[in-house]
Amino acid sequence: MTIAQNPEAARQAASLPRLDRARLAELAEAALTAATRAGASYADIRIGETRRQFVQAKEERLDEFFESSSPGFGLRVLVDGCWGFYGARALEPGAMAAAAERAIHNARAVAPIRVAPVRLEETEPHEAEWIMPLGIDPFAVDAPEKVRRLIEVNAAALAAGADYCVSSFSFATEERLFADSRGSRIFQSRTRAQPSFEVTVIDKGSGRYATRESLAPARAAGWDYALSCDLIGEAARAVEDARRKLDARPVEAGVTDVVIDPTNLWLTIHETVGHSTELDRALGWEANFAGTSFVKPHMLNTLRFGSELMTILADRSQEGGLASVAFDDDGAPRERAEFEIVSKGVFRNYQMALGQAHLIGAERSNGCAYADDTTAFPIQRMPNISLAPNPDRCSLEELIGGVEKGLYIVGAGSWSIDQQRDNFQFGGQMFYEIRDGKLGEPVRDAAYQGRTISFWNSLDGLGDSSTYRLCGSFTCGKAEPMQLAPVSHGAPAARFRDVTVLNTAREV
Amino acid sequence: MFLTRDDAHALALRLLSLSKADSCVLHVDGEEAQSLRFAGGGVTTNVATARVKTRIESHVGGRIGAVSVGGLDAGELARAVARSEEIARLLPEDPEFLAPLGAQAYPVSARYDEATAALDLGFLAEASARVIAEGAARSVNMFGCAAAGRRFAALASSSGLFAYDRESFIDLSTTARHRSDGWSGWAGARHFAMARLDPAAIGRRAALKAARDEEPLDLEPGRYTVILEPTAVGELAQWLMWMLRARPADEGRSFFSRPGGGTKLGERLFGADFSIRSDPGDEIAPEAPFGEEGLAQAPRRWVEKGVLESLSRPRFWARKTGAEAIPQAANFTVAGGPTSLEEMIRRTPRGILVTRFWYTNLVDPRSLLLTGLTRDGNFLVENGEIVAPARNMRFNVNLGGVFSRIAAIGNSERVKTEMGGAAICAPPMLIEGFEFSSRSSGI
Repeated sequence: MTIAQNPEAARQAASLPRLDRARLAELAEAALTAATRAGASYADIRIGETRRQFVQAKEERLDEFFESSSPGFGLRVLVDGCWGFYGARALEPGAMAAAAERAIHNARAVAPIRVAPVRLEETEPHEAEWIMPLGIDPFAVDAPEKVRRLIEVNAAALAAGADYCVSSFSFATEERLFADSRGSRIFQSRTRAQPSFEVTVIDKGSGRYATRESLAPARAAGWDYALSCDLIGEAARAVEDARRKLDARPVEAGVTDVVIDPTNLWLTIHETVGHSTELDRALGWEANFAGTSFVKPHMLNTLRFGSELMTILADRSQEGGLASVAFDDDGAPRERAEFEIVSKGVFRNYQMALGQAHLIGAERSNGCAYADDTTAFPIQRMPNISLAPNPDRCSLEELIGGVEKGLYIVGAGSWSIDQQRDNFQFGGQMFYEIRDGKLGEPVRDAAYQGRTISFWNSLDGLGDSSTYRLCGSFTCGKAEPMQLAPVSHGAPAARFRDVTVLNTAREV
Repeated sequence: MFLTRDDAHALALRLLSLSKADSCVLHVDGEEAQSLRFAGGGVTTNVATARVKTRIESHVGGRIGAVSVGGLDAGELARAVARSEEIARLLPEDPEFLAPLGAQAYPVSARYDEATAALDLGFLAEASARVIAEGAARSVNMFGCAAAGRRFAALASSSGLFAYDRESFIDLSTTARHRSDGWSGWAGARHFAMARLDPAAIGRRAALKAARDEEPLDLEPGRYTVILEPTAVGELAQWLMWMLRARPADEGRSFFSRPGGGTKLGERLFGADFSIRSDPGDEIAPEAPFGEEGLAQAPRRWVEKGVLESLSRPRFWARKTGAEAIPQAANFTVAGGPTSLEEMIRRTPRGILVTRFWYTNLVDPRSLLLTGLTRDGNFLVENGEIVAPARNMRFNVNLGGVFSRIAAIGNSERVKTEMGGAAICAPPMLIEGFEFSSRSSGI
């Protein structure tokens, strides 16, 4: 049995954790004991609570202030090679034995359509507590302070000439105990923050309008991070950007070179690399909804995913990473989740959850499980997945300097990709012309399209760590029933050759 | 967790009695649901869950504080009432605050079937087995999801409003994949009553689409005549329904804004044979009888013969603009026509039959420009016959243009889309000049 220590825990916000860990442990013990006595060969449970807060202001008024708490548990059992699961919004001792009975009943109910038994690898039990280092707990900050900040953001935008501005803060804290029948008892607490706004500028004469969203990324962080994003300062700049978009020339559609800022590239990494290298998708387990993958198991170590400049790293340890935790929701330690997905352009590893590794001849999972709620079945989800920056010096200016005619793309916009993660189309917040190696004026109505492999093989310029930024989302959707996972993606600025750019205003 | 009308009413009265606010609104909703997924012909994951949450909205001097709590712990719920009041007192006054509605008259909801509400995972495993068998009979692999359960939602206010709705549901869909991994087909359905769902027919339909041994064609991107199956039409129409809102239109930031001010209400924006209506009592696609703020849902024409007739409008905006408050539609029906899907195929010299779409997303709300891809059953039609599978492609289309170029419409039927749980009826459509912008290898 290993004991994970968290030397930084002393710096944690005093208000966390909120839950009574001893009580959770008692409930978990009762559920696991009942499950194994009733015939489960393996059982695990996630038990705890997620708290959320959402504050939104529209122009001069507070539009919404809402907070929620979602306590619950999810008990998963393995019986004769079939999973069974039961989850409920209850933290009561009396519910545990009944839950075990129900989960085991469910495993037996689906046994008639079992093809191959679920096979779990050996795992080491861990007893650990990990509290994410946090500056200021957002739930400990007064409501009026949050409202005041957002009203100030909107006031700055309106003063700069915006017709409308909507701004918001989203916060979430997960406190969760993982326990399994092999002896693991892991309590973790994590908090995330998403500051955001969107300004709108309208040309009343023509009826045209333009928007610009904040570029502030979602992070695993607290109130201090939300403040550090300086939404007020950005709001005024965003209004100017939106006005420039209104006055901009339409983009010239065609094939061109692009330099992509990390505020846009993170989403492209997420959709093209993050999802295509999920083993459950490659095995077809998501075929009916989220989709499969063009990356097949026989392509391991042979597929040229991208150019030599492309190395994609998985981790659960980046500071601020939305998937940074000490253990995943199968109880696997974060060290397992430190691996290369793509190394110098070659596909090296899938992301895996418990019980999947043997299907491709691997020994064990690499710590990529998550359940979006304690009452949800844990499935394979992304750790933080990032494009490694260039180890050699390369600035944004150098990347742009290498483009005769092209575009520089900033901020994420509309997105879409096929279910095997090949054909994609992404918008952006700002598209700037590049001419003769110099950054020019914005253009409007642009989006870029591509095919995953040819796009990543056209990567010919990579920024160094000075251009690196960690971005991410609270809401990556997957599975049936749908689960929403938080995940971060870091990227430097990068240059791609011969990318198809669309004019989205063309009549179709 | 499922509460009966009486249980929900008792809970609401108890919580409202704790309120010290000027007024208070409660939303209580919950479900008991189970589902299983299968892949390659065998079960993978399954879940059974019982969830309930209560949202308490307290109003103090025109200030609003809202707190939601999961579970039914009496102490937690009482603390949530107090917390919502504490938050309200701390916040600035909302100039758009309106006191909650009092008692309302709602149409009767009829979407609860006792037998369906009582289904368990054993039944879903049996239904899935029938789907899988249809694939085995045609040598294709079957992947899918089956779900069933029951849900309730209650709305109560300190002004005397109480509304309750319940539904049962069964949901089954399957993706059949050719053994070469080079082609696929999909079918699915969602109903409130199990008697309306035929698992074997769903399995057969998906398997037949996938059981094509020819190498799929790579078509050139460009403008095509398309025959959209009902699910594909329902997905496009869902985007349109989400955009039918008065406030953004009045404010000049919507497709439905008139340049220079005002909205396009009353203008012909689509083809003369395109209509969308909603009715909570629809026999095929019933929905909850009440919408946001407790506003009653009623039969409504949104687009009639191509003319924009309704935009949803919250109570505050209705008061400010002197117009009717209209809740967003929870369900909708795209009006059908007399032409069968088979007839559409017969009359098409060259076109593409589309089963469903995937990852649709709005590119530009000003023009209703939508992008997305075809998925799970795209076929080239030539000289009135399906000639071969055709690989998927990306489209970029303006919804106004698409629904103005309708050449034929078929019977409207209940469809299952991947875009939320709204009950949707849609017909197949023959549409001219549908723009595909690039190829995809995604099968």
